[in-house]
Amino acid sequence: MSVVISVGMADYKTARTPEILLTAGLGSCIGICIHDPLLKVGGMAHIMLPTASISLGGNPAKYADTALELLLKEISGMGANKARLKAKMAGGAQMFSFPGKPPVLKIGERNAEAVQKELKKHGIPLLVADVGGSFGRTIYFDVGTGELRIRTINHGEKVV
Amino acid sequence: MEITQFQLDALREIGNIGSGHAATALSTLLQRRIDMSVPKVWAIPFEKISEIIGQVDTPQATIYVKVEGEAPGKAVFFFPVESAEIVVQALFATDQPMDIYCDEMAQSALKEVGNILVSSFIMALTQFSGIALQPSVPALAVDMIGASLEAIFLEEGTLDDMVLFIDTQLTGIPKIEGKFIFLPDEGSLQKLLGAMGL
Repeated sequence: MSVVISVGMADYKTARTPEILLTAGLGSCIGICIHDPLLKVGGMAHIMLPTASISLGGNPAKYADTALELLLKEISGMGANKARLKAKMAGGAQMFSFPGKPPVLKIGERNAEAVQKELKKHGIPLLVADVGGSFGRTIYFDVGTGELRIRTINHGEKVV
Repeated sequence: MEITQFQLDALREIGNIGSGHAATALSTLLQRRIDMSVPKVWAIPFEKISEIIGQVDTPQATIYVKVEGEAPGKAVFFFPVESAEIVVQALFATDQPMDIYCDEMAQSALKEVGNILVSSFIMALTQFSGIALQPSVPALAVDMIGASLEAIFLEEGTLDDMVLFIDTQLTGIPKIEGKFIFLPDEGSLQKLLGAMGL
């Protein structure tokens, strides 16, 4: 049984194989998973909003741009080679809809776009993006194999 | 903003009165006695909500109402799936299990119950502050509680680091429990507290 490291909201953690990273109850937030398949280390961030610039101060792990930077720094510190890094992400759902009222700001979608943009900026390939829909996700990331297990309440479970 | 213990106590009292209205309305609706326990009030950073709600990926029925008016905000009521099922069965006076994940009748009944509960609280707020507040049509999600709450808090794209929880525990026979949250938009809380002379 592997050790499971839980990543809270607006938080990020790193791990070494055989550790598993977990974040529970992703709604419009996104779980970003990054690993170095050769060194078998990686990390996960649970981001809540697209960019730190839309808010003053606060916890940098809350935003796609600043959280990714922190996460990458820590993964590099573990000896990972940036050129080998691979990314996967899940979340970004639209949990509620009001009849006749299109949401002004689809925060889930904007989060997903922000993560894509930031990964591109850092030159990290995004292998899987399981985003959108109207349901919550709990995700488990194996930093050794890069396997991402996505569990939902009413929309099944899968490994990507 | 900083919230003093005195203000928290006042909000707890309003929560108390709101949940009193709610318990009465729900008792009538369900034809069974619903009791109300003393609510707690927290002002905590949103990231810490798991300390209050426990397991964030437990399925719960969440009813979400936007509050419009001079002191806008968001009002949320959520309860465990088992409690939601009991409420729905009581409403339809049936012993048959109803699928609250898919059944539209069941979902619409849940929205209505949530609406009553939320409106009761809004009424108490208005009563004390004199500020008119209008609840929107309710929206419902039956899903991981953390996912639902997170989506509500982040919906407008702005997020105060501190979030105000006014928690009301409604308990009835055999076992109906739920929690209630009011999230004032930025500035609304000052307005409400100011109008109440706090």
